[in-house]
Amino acid sequence: MTADIDFSPVDVLIVGAGASGATAAWNLTETKMRIVCLEQGGWTNPADYPTTGRDWETRAQSDFSINPNRRQQPGDYPVNDDESPIKIANYNGVGGGTVLYAGHYPRFHPSDFKVKSLDGVADDWPIDYGDLEPFYAENDRVTGVSGLAGDPAYPAKQSLMPPLPMGKSGQKLAEGFNQLGWHWWPSDSAIATQPYNGRDQCINLGACISGCAQGAKASTDITYWPEALRAGVELRAWCRVKEINVGEDGLASGVTYFDEEGVEQFQPAHIVIMACNGVGTPRILLNSVSEQFPNGLANSSGLVGKNLMLHPYASIQGVFDQELDGYRGPHDSIWSQEFYETGVARDFVRGFTYETTRGRGAVATAVSGAHTGRIPWGTGHHDAYRKLFNRIAGMVAICEDLPEEHNTVTLDPNIKDARGIAAPKMTYSISENSQKMLDFAVARAEEALRAAGATDIMIESPLTGGGWHLMGTARMGVDPKKSVVNEWGRSHDVKNLFIVDGSVFVTSAGVNPTRTIQTLALYITDQIKKRLTHLFD
Amino acid sequence: MSNTIATDSLFSSEERDALYMLVGMIVPASATYGVPGADDEVIFADILDSARANEGQIRKGIDYGMSCGLGGDLSLEQLQSELEGHPTMTPVVSLVMQCYYRDDRVMASLQMEPRAPFPKGFEVPEGDWSMLDAVQKRGKIWRDA
Repeated sequence: MTADIDFSPVDVLIVGAGASGATAAWNLTETKMRIVCLEQGGWTNPADYPTTGRDWETRAQSDFSINPNRRQQPGDYPVNDDESPIKIANYNGVGGGTVLYAGHYPRFHPSDFKVKSLDGVADDWPIDYGDLEPFYAENDRVTGVSGLAGDPAYPAKQSLMPPLPMGKSGQKLAEGFNQLGWHWWPSDSAIATQPYNGRDQCINLGACISGCAQGAKASTDITYWPEALRAGVELRAWCRVKEINVGEDGLASGVTYFDEEGVEQFQPAHIVIMACNGVGTPRILLNSVSEQFPNGLANSSGLVGKNLMLHPYASIQGVFDQELDGYRGPHDSIWSQEFYETGVARDFVRGFTYETTRGRGAVATAVSGAHTGRIPWGTGHHDAYRKLFNRIAGMVAICEDLPEEHNTVTLDPNIKDARGIAAPKMTYSISENSQKMLDFAVARAEEALRAAGATDIMIESPLTGGGWHLMGTARMGVDPKKSVVNEWGRSHDVKNLFIVDGSVFVTSAGVNPTRTIQTLALYITDQIKKRLTHLFD
Repeated sequence: MSNTIATDSLFSSEERDALYMLVGMIVPASATYGVPGADDEVIFADILDSARANEGQIRKGIDYGMSCGLGGDLSLEQLQSELEGHPTMTPVVSLVMQCYYRDDRVMASLQMEPRAPFPKGFEVPEGDWSMLDAVQKRGKIWRDA
């Protein structure tokens, strides 16, 4: 209750309790500073996850949809994505996007931090793989990562648990990759394959992206947060931040937020850390307008909200003659990074990862089959359905998106959330380079599926619902004119304001970003700890 | 005509009858597979109840169906050619599929246990990891930076 809350100044105020906010809070606990985290959503009870009921496929498209505009839960805010071919996906609550992610958990590669030097496009990061390597390892330990050491697509890295099973689907796809002589490897996954740090092992529920009722998937509500709370961090759920306030000294003085009852509150703080993802963070910064910062906070470069990167996805699925995994098993299985690094013979730069997919549920098979004309109405329905059920497997291509200033998050002039705060608007188009990459990825995937024995191919490119990787809108760099935060995550303009989420990405790589987001949160908060005595210099 | 008694129905009796005919057209019963149609009493009751979540879109589908003669004298073949693939039918088809494929009898016909995934989970075979030998032989493919 509000009456019990201590509104005296805190040392550190973190906005957002998702992947990066949880990680940042955990890493700062050893300082014994007073840390408060504000989260606009609430805790999710695993007993409420869809796989606890017979209607799990329906609920994955409604109250547990990845799209907040469809989900419309109390913690959500609207996002205008009308001017983007790729629609928003997120989760607002303790754990953030990790509650609904698949747990597909690749690292960046060394080359991903040197895009300008190697390929002459975009910009190099001001840090590199070597800087982050110890923090990757630390995050892996807390998260609990399954996989197999020795992947030739990566520098050596440890594996903490055995890989998820390949299953019938993974093995079928691996046969295709092997026929073509391509790389593939068991996916690194943030899914426990053994009991791990109080979490039970995966039991193949098959619906990772609507929440893991088993607790095997490493969402931060069950990894970082329990440890951070035990160490004294205060987490206030159902608190929606309106703006970051600044004092006459130009430093952040705290944040104004609406509590669960909708009452406006002010929480003073000495350090503010933003952890609201690549849409939520620029939204709050742009909403934080003052005389000193008329264009939004930390925005002297004009780059807050610009360079939005989304990872265009293509989905390429094959239909096989024999039964595969279907609805059984986690989404993750194996990946291929055969086309990850830039190829001189291709008409695009950079590359992508194939993340294989095991199959579909009974309802999803029927719905997609009917809507693509593969399953007719009437007497032919049942035969056609049985040719698809448990016989679909394939992959998605996660294509590296390069930063472009015209891809933006701005404030929508008309749409507001339930507290009257201006909603974000995404304006995004797929670049020529990304489109060529998508087309190439689709064509090569079709070859692999045919080699594996697929008799029919189903393509969706771009994957319209796949806007779950939100990056680049408060980029990192050493030049204040060309970046929003410096090389250790501190705002160039406001010296007690830090950003630890995917907003700071300089480039996007061709992999799922969560492992790197959390690693960066560890790196940046480690920098805070090391520089405490002169943090605001 | 539907035998479902709905005391708190979203739809008028005409709309309900039209929807009943429509869902039976989309997924009819099959003696070959021993499964009911979507117009089965239990499944149709589920459809009516579940329609509440998307009432507006479902009503549009029914209205379009009725405008094409659903409930009139047209043959099933004529109706199907009018309706199948029409955009207003998309929400109706999704609704039918989500209810039909969670029915115990339908799931049993697909060798599925009629239960929620949790807490029992499912078995997935490990697979043959020796297939990786060919990949390992290629050696490093990542780029130095």
